[in-house]
Amino acid sequence: MTDDYDVPEDAEGYECRYCGRPFAREEWLALHRGLDHPAQLDDGEVAAFRAAHDDEESALGNFRLRALGALVLVYFCLLMIYALV
Amino acid sequence: MTTRRRRVVGWLAGALSLALAVGTASAHGGSLAGGGRESITVPTWLFLSTGGAAVGASFLLASFVTDRAFIDRIHDWGTPLTVGDSRLPALLARAVGLAGYVTVLVIGFLGPTTPQTNLAILLVWVGWWAGLAMTAYLIGNTWRALNPLDTIALVLPSLDRPYPDRVGAWPSVVGLLALIWLEVVSPLADDPRLLATAIVGYSGLTLAGAVVFGRETWFAEADPVERVFRYYGRVAPIGWADGSLRLRLPGMDLSTPRLVDGRDEVAFVVALLWGTTFDGLVVTPAFTDLTMPLVDAGLPPELLYPLALAAGFGLFLGAYWFAVGLSRRAADTYLDEATLAERFAPPLLAIAAGYHLAHYLGYFLVLAPALWVALLSPLSDPGAVPIYEPPGWFGGVGIAAVVVGHLVAIWVAHAAAYDAFPSRLQAVRSQYPFIAVMVFYTMTSLWVISRPEVPLPYL
Repeated sequence: MTDDYDVPEDAEGYECRYCGRPFAREEWLALHRGLDHPAQLDDGEVAAFRAAHDDEESALGNFRLRALGALVLVYFCLLMIYALV
Repeated sequence: MTTRRRRVVGWLAGALSLALAVGTASAHGGSLAGGGRESITVPTWLFLSTGGAAVGASFLLASFVTDRAFIDRIHDWGTPLTVGDSRLPALLARAVGLAGYVTVLVIGFLGPTTPQTNLAILLVWVGWWAGLAMTAYLIGNTWRALNPLDTIALVLPSLDRPYPDRVGAWPSVVGLLALIWLEVVSPLADDPRLLATAIVGYSGLTLAGAVVFGRETWFAEADPVERVFRYYGRVAPIGWADGSLRLRLPGMDLSTPRLVDGRDEVAFVVALLWGTTFDGLVVTPAFTDLTMPLVDAGLPPELLYPLALAAGFGLFLGAYWFAVGLSRRAADTYLDEATLAERFAPPLLAIAAGYHLAHYLGYFLVLAPALWVALLSPLSDPGAVPIYEPPGWFGGVGIAAVVVGHLVAIWVAHAAAYDAFPSRLQAVRSQYPFIAVMVFYTMTSLWVISRPEVPLPYL
């Protein structure tokens, strides 16, 4: 299956050298290579994937905290509203 | 759908609407200790916000699942079901479909004229459009095997003209909207003769299409009914994969790539969703209030319904593409809009199925005994038919169906986003616009099923 891409003319893109898919950020390209072409990577690309993956993990940790906060907020808001209405 | 059918359909909303008519729903909270009961009242806005919040919260919960391998495992889980080589089941299915078709035509033209005792009316609306459609997304799509027009087309010659690629699924989009319009405004559910005539007309058109373009092509591309059942079947746990039956978790087949291919098929999914909504929307008092000024200003009522149908479809489609545009920006991706629209359209089918169940399960259960009685004596009019009285708590099943449909949709969209984007945060961000649309849509559909039903205005 092939996807279609729409890259803005003035944008800086990072293209995958295995499948040609363009990405807006270099770390996304690194992740993509690791996920979709794991068997073909050279050592530098493997290292780039690991680094990007570690960065992603810590960013996800932040995101989880914020999502948990939002959940608690929604829960208590509804609880309060139900108590008052 | 006409007044009589609406009355029966309406019990589902009825249980709710009785309580919600003045803006409050009452629920009973039993207290074990005191053995007493107290009524708590919940205003409509709070009921709707709770539904919306449930959907939003489930998105947050789904976003905690960040393990790609786990998501793949859930989606790939399945067991092949053994199918014998025997051609007997397929032949039997075709025979059953054909027998049903002949029954509907014969009883439609010759049977009793009271709709509640006419087998043709009951078989089409209760057995097929409510019952069989429900089995299509709850168990698996059997219409492909039953479709009597497909069986008839087998023996017809074919001219095998090439089907224009550019046209794609658009005839089925137009056909579906036309069917919804017919179903809503015409007395097809009241008048067996008219119903049988309409079926003859539809059959003529379908068979002509099958003869000109070839049976397989016509049913795969242009026939709206076949497509509705096929799409609903994707929500079901049992489906075809690589030529054999396979049991999966419900809704997981929706993540199959290229399930929806092209703008025409995206439009069909949106039309299916809009159709189920429109069906409920036109009988709300708000619809009457909203359209009153238009009719007073001189808009002919005959034009009102097709216009409202088309305008609402445009609105839904526009909102979807707008969300796709926002999603593309939020995710900062170079995938083009059409690709994203195709990826995120299948989850909408789970929502449509949930809404269909909310709308039709009660209708089906109420009239199932009548269908059985009519089946036993198709030509004589038994006078009174038995009707099932659902218990009071049953209204909650509709609400649960709407919410569960959204939950499945959120999970499938989550998986689709993980499949589309290498970065998991990017995948989460791409979901924001769709979740906003879904929260809004949940609230709208909960509002629609909680409104009192009024007769169709101006008809």
